[in-house]
Amino acid sequence: MAEIVYLDNAATTFPKPREVLERMIDLYAAKGVSPGRGGYDCAQEADELVYGVRKRLCQFFGGDDPDRVIFASNATDALNLVIQGSIKPDGHVVSSQLEHNSVLRPLQHLREKGLIHYDLVPFDGEGFIDPDDVSRAIRPQTQLVVLTHASNVLGTIQPIETVGAVCRDKGVPLILDTAQSAGVIPIDISAWGVSALAFTGHKSLLGPTGIGGLVLRQSFEVQPTRFGGTGIDSQELIHTQTYPHRLEAGTLNILGILGLMCGLDYLAAQGMEGILQKERALARKLWEGLAAIEGVKLYGAARWERRLGVVLANIEGMSPADVGAILDGDFGIATRVGLQCAPLVHRSLGTGRAGGVRFSVGPFNTEREIDQAIEAMAQISRS
Amino acid sequence: MDQPAEASRPAGPEALQVQVRSFAGREIVFDSEGFLSDFRQWTEEVAQTLAQESGLEALTDTHWQVIRFLREYYLQNGRAPLHRELKKGTGMSLLEIESLFPGGIKQGARRLAGLPNPKTCGQS
Repeated sequence: MAEIVYLDNAATTFPKPREVLERMIDLYAAKGVSPGRGGYDCAQEADELVYGVRKRLCQFFGGDDPDRVIFASNATDALNLVIQGSIKPDGHVVSSQLEHNSVLRPLQHLREKGLIHYDLVPFDGEGFIDPDDVSRAIRPQTQLVVLTHASNVLGTIQPIETVGAVCRDKGVPLILDTAQSAGVIPIDISAWGVSALAFTGHKSLLGPTGIGGLVLRQSFEVQPTRFGGTGIDSQELIHTQTYPHRLEAGTLNILGILGLMCGLDYLAAQGMEGILQKERALARKLWEGLAAIEGVKLYGAARWERRLGVVLANIEGMSPADVGAILDGDFGIATRVGLQCAPLVHRSLGTGRAGGVRFSVGPFNTEREIDQAIEAMAQISRS
Repeated sequence: MDQPAEASRPAGPEALQVQVRSFAGREIVFDSEGFLSDFRQWTEEVAQTLAQESGLEALTDTHWQVIRFLREYYLQNGRAPLHRELKKGTGMSLLEIESLFPGGIKQGARRLAGLPNPKTCGQS
């Protein structure tokens, strides 16, 4: 396959570091049995490995109990679990118009079942929500605030510490979607007043697809929404209430968990701050290059200290779908076009049904690739 | 060509915006973005009419080359060609195809060729 300039890292980082993949497979080949399900040594060792990853993630995100690190398939799966497992009938939820469908659709599903009401706070012209809006939207019936840490469309990092203080004052749990930020921005849920965090393993954490999860604070309870084998309390027909098994039914994705561990090791060795600075510098170069092209429109604020390496653009008079097709077919540049599964962001931006062209930088992009993307957009814009 | 008329298709969020139009005595269903609902209902007359509506006076041999490649590929493979396959199959760059049709690649070439409106968010 021909090499591509991959600028769709907000969807999934690609390629993954070869050392992560190779070590993941080696570990899986040696220890890939069902963890905690058998009394034999290898099963115990696999269980220890899994528990070690829970401890690593708990520490990484500032949690307070490794047993409350719950594995799921991805951030969407984790958000479904935590939203549906913590909401009670006649509840009210506050969220935002910046959200991905991973939050919007579970909320809408619960609304259509008549279980909840929700309000979505807006974002400003730069792409940030206002914590005061969240405060005003909270009612006596509000059971949850659910927010993205960083917009997957605009890359803007939200003022979560301030929102966390608001939620703490009002006694409302805050659930944080870190699909875009985990692995690239330091997160401390205990310090920030976050009750639950949903993460995915295959983006900036550099693991494989199919692994993600939740980190829950000890003070926050989530009811199981799926039931089955856990390897403990097997004599009971009622699903165990013991964390983490309470929220994990069936054999764990040990390959994904090992890959996640290898991704964490890679990040620790490389330094997260260095990766963030590199991605920001490349995105800034891209932004400045695109801004100089006549006919190119950019969205959100150029405030790089509050942005990830994501740039949303459009070319005047052209469908973003066609721009993406030309970038791919003629220039070998992979981007994500359309709504990026965040329709309300585009509704607010005025980009409607067509959306925009999202360039998202990853740890392995180069300045040369950014130059190629700018030149390609210039050629398309001139056509 | 007759005027668009409201369709009587089954319920569904998009079905409300479906249009039925008459071509040479046959009723043809279009979605809300003007794409044929059924690839098999396409005729050259449909393509010519859609082209005129989009501002093309007539379809040239070059237009037909693209349209025919898209249709033949779809017929054989059950999907639209990949971007590199479209380039190879037509001998044109995507930028050239974009310029050739007033609606560009998706709303122009693909729609005139009668290919379905892609479900994938943002697919051309």
